[in-house]
Amino acid sequence: MKPLMLHGHERAITQIKYNREGDLLFSSAKDHCPNVWYSLNGERLGNFIGHIGAVWCLDINWESTKFMSGAADNTLKLWDCSNGVEIGNINTKSTVRTCVFSYSGNLAAYSTDTQRKQICEINVIDCRISDSFGSEPILCIPVPESKVTALFWGPLDEMVVTGHENGKITQWDMRTGKQLNQIDGHSGSINDMQPSKEGMMFITASSDHTSKLFDTEQLLNLKTYVTERPVNSASISPILDHVVLGGGQEASVVTTTSTRVGKFDARFYHMVFEEEFGRVKGHFGPINSLAFHPDGRSYASGGEDGYVRVHYFDPSYFEFTFDC
Amino acid sequence: MPVADEVKSSWADEVEEVVEDIPQSNEVFENGFKIVTEYRRNEDDKKEKIVRTYKIEKRCVSKPIALRKTWAKYGVAAGDKPGPNPANTVVGEDVFMQFITSKEEQDKPDEDVLDKLKSMADKTVKCRTCNGDHWTLKCPFKDTGYIPNKAPATPATEEKRPTQVEDKTKSKYIAPGLREGGGKRGETMSRRHDDSSAAAIRVSNLSESTQEADLEELVKPFGDYNKLFLAKDKSTGLCKGFAYIHFKSRSAAAAAIATLNGHGYDHLILNADWSKPQHNN
Repeated sequence: MKPLMLHGHERAITQIKYNREGDLLFSSAKDHCPNVWYSLNGERLGNFIGHIGAVWCLDINWESTKFMSGAADNTLKLWDCSNGVEIGNINTKSTVRTCVFSYSGNLAAYSTDTQRKQICEINVIDCRISDSFGSEPILCIPVPESKVTALFWGPLDEMVVTGHENGKITQWDMRTGKQLNQIDGHSGSINDMQPSKEGMMFITASSDHTSKLFDTEQLLNLKTYVTERPVNSASISPILDHVVLGGGQEASVVTTTSTRVGKFDARFYHMVFEEEFGRVKGHFGPINSLAFHPDGRSYASGGEDGYVRVHYFDPSYFEFTFDC
Repeated sequence: MPVADEVKSSWADEVEEVVEDIPQSNEVFENGFKIVTEYRRNEDDKKEKIVRTYKIEKRCVSKPIALRKTWAKYGVAAGDKPGPNPANTVVGEDVFMQFITSKEEQDKPDEDVLDKLKSMADKTVKCRTCNGDHWTLKCPFKDTGYIPNKAPATPATEEKRPTQVEDKTKSKYIAPGLREGGGKRGETMSRRHDDSSAAAIRVSNLSESTQEADLEELVKPFGDYNKLFLAKDKSTGLCKGFAYIHFKSRSAAAAAIATLNGHGYDHLILNADWSKPQHNN
């Protein structure tokens, strides 16, 4: 497969995401402008200019009309996806670490960092009221123990599941703002959580060198994928029983080792047998974010090297059968 | 406005435009392919022609996707032509998914172990109980309690005991200071260095053009010398401005210092002094 290398960022990629249909690919980096690309040919549709800090998170709503990005300049911005115009801005008390639209796209949840005496908060806003972008959130949950590093909406927008810096995974009831359940998911920071296509399972990626598959309802640990490097991102294939893990060494120790030892490959595991069956090389730095195309026939990865690589799978990937 | 047009491009671009007579890049649409031809100069200042061929495909997609495809580009991409901008979108080198089958992984270490055992078998298989050429595990005397060689050995060890005491001095580790001839002091590198450098002088502020022959001429009148070292720059071969001379006698060295210190040589005033011992860690 010939990957498309999208070079629209000056600095390390922080997150990439496809829209629901998968025709658009969004990428954010530590530079200040998130980009949007046509995933089919890698053509850049545009970028969103307005942030003045590293952009840590992004999300796109169900209809691909609104795009949301949270940054280290203490703002969460809402954009019109069709023309790149800023249509909303929320000033937060600290860096916005995660932001996710609910499935309906009516609500959005975002979390802020523990920073300068400011404790981490999970906030929920209603996107339908354009005025609420800028006013108080409709729900605010302070999280004093450990900051939220990953977040996604549970089924029917009834709850939000958060991953924390101390490895805990928590469910929050969105009606009451109460904590429903909490487990010790990992021993290291949770860097990423991505739900499966149906939303009934999710995969975590952690600095403790493992990635785990959990049941969304009860937070049961179903599977564990073990690697020898910190895992920065993981994604579940929507069509096959595959998961892809991306990671590598800490960015701080990369320069002291060659790319060969760096283990910057995307690693494909069988979801059920927990065994690795394939690797794809390419990045010069650790992979920070991974996403499967919603049709499962391609995937994209964004790395510390500032490149987004879009891979269309060869027929051999689909012909491959896992012998056990 | 003509003035604005001139100012628009930066001076660096202008220079390039003037110097290079490179044809403009062009795009041609030909039966389903877009062919982009670009010209540029490579590092060796040779003209390069880059031809990129894009296949234009038509796809049937759902309405919203088709609608999104018609959106005008915005942000920094606003000026881009339809189709990917080669500055941002690069088709990477072919990569392949390396398939790791679990079977291969399991087979490999097994083979290794077997190979190892085979090669070991060729060389030395020695039973720890009877010293025969079979594995200890397969020893015929295993579990019988009978040990062919060791049985008579038990009384022998008792006899040996007194001799062992004498042997103690031989077999045991002896500190270097307690060994035979350990009383005398060991030679050290620094001491030897001191001896030779006792009559060494350092002459500095020599001119760049000084050669070894010139220096030789300069120091010969004071007496014989062992070694003469003129510091030279590695790349240029020019004198670095100082030299060391190791005289045979200290008196000759003293005489040399007395004369050469303040001596005018090649329009420079020389400095001469005793060479200071090197301070190595």
